[in-house]
Amino acid sequence: MKIKELTKGIVKRNPIFVLALGLCPALAVSTAIDNAIGMGACVIFVLLLSNLIISLLRNLIPKEVRIPCFIVIIATFVTLISLALQSYLPELNESLGIYVPLIVVNCIILGRAESFASKNSAPDSILDALGIGIGFTISLILISLIREFLGTARISIFGYGFGFPFAPINFFILPAGAFLVIGILLALFKKKGLVR
Amino acid sequence: MRESLKRVVVLTLIVLISSVVLYQAYNVMEVEERTAAYEQLKFEKMLQTIFPSETRDVYNEENDFYRIYSEDQCIGYAFMTIGKGYGGDIKILIGLNNDKTIKGIEIIKQTETPGMGVKITEKWFTDQFGNTTINEIGLKRSGGEIDAITGATKSSRAVVNAVHETVIEKIKLIEKAGEKK
Repeated sequence: MKIKELTKGIVKRNPIFVLALGLCPALAVSTAIDNAIGMGACVIFVLLLSNLIISLLRNLIPKEVRIPCFIVIIATFVTLISLALQSYLPELNESLGIYVPLIVVNCIILGRAESFASKNSAPDSILDALGIGIGFTISLILISLIREFLGTARISIFGYGFGFPFAPINFFILPAGAFLVIGILLALFKKKGLVR
Repeated sequence: MRESLKRVVVLTLIVLISSVVLYQAYNVMEVEERTAAYEQLKFEKMLQTIFPSETRDVYNEENDFYRIYSEDQCIGYAFMTIGKGYGGDIKILIGLNNDKTIKGIEIIKQTETPGMGVKITEKWFTDQFGNTTINEIGLKRSGGEIDAITGATKSSRAVVNAVHETVIEKIKLIEKAGEKK
C-alpha cells in the first residue's frame, strides 16, 4: 500500500488538468458548485467500487473479454447511484440530469480500470480511485466556482450563499465559458509549473 | 476450447450477478414509489402556488383537467401542457379562473440552456401570465403582453405558444363538460 497512489491523482495526474479526461461532464455540470460536488461524489463512489471489484477479479477475468466485463461492472455501480439519487435526492438528480448515467462512458473510470485496477492490488486500487476521484472533484469545484461567480454574480453552496454587486456575465454559464475557464486554468497551472 | 469457454462463463456470470444486484436495489430503494411520490408532491406544491386557497382537486379523466375546489366552491381549473423548447420538452401547469381568465402558470419540468432558457422558471417570467385573458397571451413583438427573455426568445415563445393553444382547447372542453353536468 503506497500513499503516493493517493496523492498522485490530485496534482501530478489530475484527471482534468493533466490527463484531460472526462472533460465532457466537467464542462456540462460545472455551472454551479452544488452540481460539481454532487457529480464529484457520484464519480468517487463509482470509481472506488469499480476499481475495488475489478482489482479483486483481475486474475479471474480473461484478457480478451476484459473491456465488456469492466463496462458491466461500472454500469452496475452507475445504475445503483442513479437509482439512489432518483429516490433519495430527486432535486440533485434533476439538476445533474443525463450526466449521472453518462458516468458509464466517462473515460476516467474505464481508464483507471484498464490502466491501474486490472494490474494492481485492491488496497492500491482503492487509493488510486480516491486520489483520482478527489482530483476530479476539486477541479470541478474550482471550475464551477469561477463560472458561478462570474456567470451569476453569486456564490452559494446548498442554498447558503451571497450575491456580489456586479452584472453577471452570462457567457460563463454557457458551455463556451467552460472551455475558456478550463483553458485559462490549464495555462495558469502550466505557467506555475504545477502540471506538466 | 477451454479458454474460450472461460470467457463466456466469466462474462455471463458478471452480467447475472449485476442483474440480481440491480433488481434487488431497485426494490430495496423503492425507486418507483419514491419517484411517483416526488412528482405528486411537486405537482401539489405548484398547484398550491397557483391556487393558494385550494383545498381539494378532482381529476376529470375524460378531458384531462383538474377542477380546483376551495371549501366546496369550484374556484377554477388546472391542466398540464407540453411546449417544444430549445433543449427539449417544457412541461407547464396552467391554472384557470372560473371566468376563463388565466390565474397563473408554473413550469414543472424543463431542460433549457442553463443561464438563458432556464429563466422561464423564474418568477418574473411566469408571473406575467397571472390574471391575463387569452388574447393577451403572446410575445410583445407579436402583439401580446408577455416580455420575452433576452437571448432566449425560442424558450419564451415555446411557453407562450403552448399556453395559448392549450388554454383555447381546454376552455372548449371545460365548457362542454360543464354543459353535461
